[in-house]
Amino acid sequence: MRRHPTDGTLRRLLDEPAGVADADREHVAGCPVCLSGLAAARADAAVAADALSTEVTADVDAAWQRLTAGAAAVPPAVQVAPPRRARWRAALRSPVIAAAGVVALLAGAGAAAAADWLPIFRTERIAPVTLTQADLVALPDLSAYGDLRVSSEPNVRPVAGASTAAQLTGLTVPRVGELPRGVTGEPTYQVGDRVTAVYTFSAAKAAQTATAAGETLPTPPPGLDGSQFRLTAGPGMAAVWTEARGVPALVVARAVAPAAYSSGVPFATARDYLLKLPGLPADVAAQLRAFSGDGTTLPLPVNSRYLTSSAAKVGGKPATVLTSRDGALAGVVWADAGVINAVAGSLSADEVLSVARELR
Amino acid sequence: MEPSGPPVRADLEDVFRAAYARVVGVAARVLGTRDEAEDVAQEVFLSFGRTAVPAAEAPGWLSVAAAHTALNHLRSGRRRAAREGQAGDGLAVSPDVADAVVTRDEHRRVRAALARLPRKHAVALVLRHSGLSYAEVAATLGLSPGSVGTTVRRAESALREELNRHASSSD
Repeated sequence: MRRHPTDGTLRRLLDEPAGVADADREHVAGCPVCLSGLAAARADAAVAADALSTEVTADVDAAWQRLTAGAAAVPPAVQVAPPRRARWRAALRSPVIAAAGVVALLAGAGAAAAADWLPIFRTERIAPVTLTQADLVALPDLSAYGDLRVSSEPNVRPVAGASTAAQLTGLTVPRVGELPRGVTGEPTYQVGDRVTAVYTFSAAKAAQTATAAGETLPTPPPGLDGSQFRLTAGPGMAAVWTEARGVPALVVARAVAPAAYSSGVPFATARDYLLKLPGLPADVAAQLRAFSGDGTTLPLPVNSRYLTSSAAKVGGKPATVLTSRDGALAGVVWADAGVINAVAGSLSADEVLSVARELR
Repeated sequence: MEPSGPPVRADLEDVFRAAYARVVGVAARVLGTRDEAEDVAQEVFLSFGRTAVPAAEAPGWLSVAAAHTALNHLRSGRRRAAREGQAGDGLAVSPDVADAVVTRDEHRRVRAALARLPRKHAVALVLRHSGLSYAEVAATLGLSPGSVGTTVRRAESALREELNRHASSSD
């Protein structure tokens, strides 16, 4: 018997039946379990539709006047800024981009959200404004090759100040020398706990995945089947400077680097084997190769459609500079003695590098 | 010197006029008030005006930006709550719509529930209920169309649970 379609398919059936495969539609029509699931989905959808209903009528002309008047009423300090500065200043108003930067840093290079960054390997298409931690820190979809159990979550939360952040994470709070223009005031602090997960390699699962890709699984190295690897990241902290409208303008983050430990087969052996598996995109494989498993390097798969990356040095250490192609966001990430550091914001690459190099 | 004046994109006005209602709509679904939704729309278009986002991608960009910005506004909830309290009825979603059955208290619960959802779930939920197709939501969030259904379903289920929980706890 055909297996039941997912809840997501049932949900789509309500909105876009044409987007659901014929076989699924036919199954649902004759399956009491699915019909019940469909009814539940319909009921929840109706509650949501009601909760989110709105009948706003917008006066477009008035709004356009407000926008243009608002732009003309920018404070003098901004108006006299040189063109490039004005552009970055404008970028500071982009809460989406800045917030995405914060998410990426906190959950990615910072206290990696294991649930997200460990299983994610698919080179999913990413819209320009939805940069996620998956863009900055990604590992193979290990769930296709075994079981992943997250044992502690990052629990990212605000704290009262720098000293609390230092106390909770055991890290030295980075001090910024000179703030870029347009960034003012005191930062707020966030911390995230150490994330741990255990990944168990399964030859059976890997074989399944390979078969699904129409390939044969290369013979696993002896002892790998059933081997466990402990993956950790964090704790971490971030100092966030927020613009008047509540927009994060600059984020300086620091976290204990992701690392992988093994009680048996070395992580490097597992990694090299994973690299041989069918269906692994070449660019991702290249990034995985860079993951040493000892916290000295950080894989940074870059979606070249939206981000460009370049190499630089910070304090003599190799650093990766990421810039969004629309020029609105830049960040620099580097590892130093097992600690990942990141500076990002609605700033230029020069500005984030300058902040990074002057951190004390 | 940068000339002061209107935003820099030549096509801004065209995009603005075409997408303004939609952007306000997305924000209003999150915030429940027209004034705040229009504030969000101003922010979003100011940002957009300085980007190089291709015009063809503008509707998606603006919708996601509106959802994120509005959800960010929810976070500064205390300030809002204070203001709402003072204003008496900050909830002027549609003062002239007699059949608006959602009460102010319910709106507050909806906002609180949205704020508690994982961000991606909340954005997918709001975009879907703002009329974006599965393909559009998928494209703007970097999801596969298949997983949009899953994400929306989970978000709706969580929203219903939150609303029920709060409804029963406040009775």
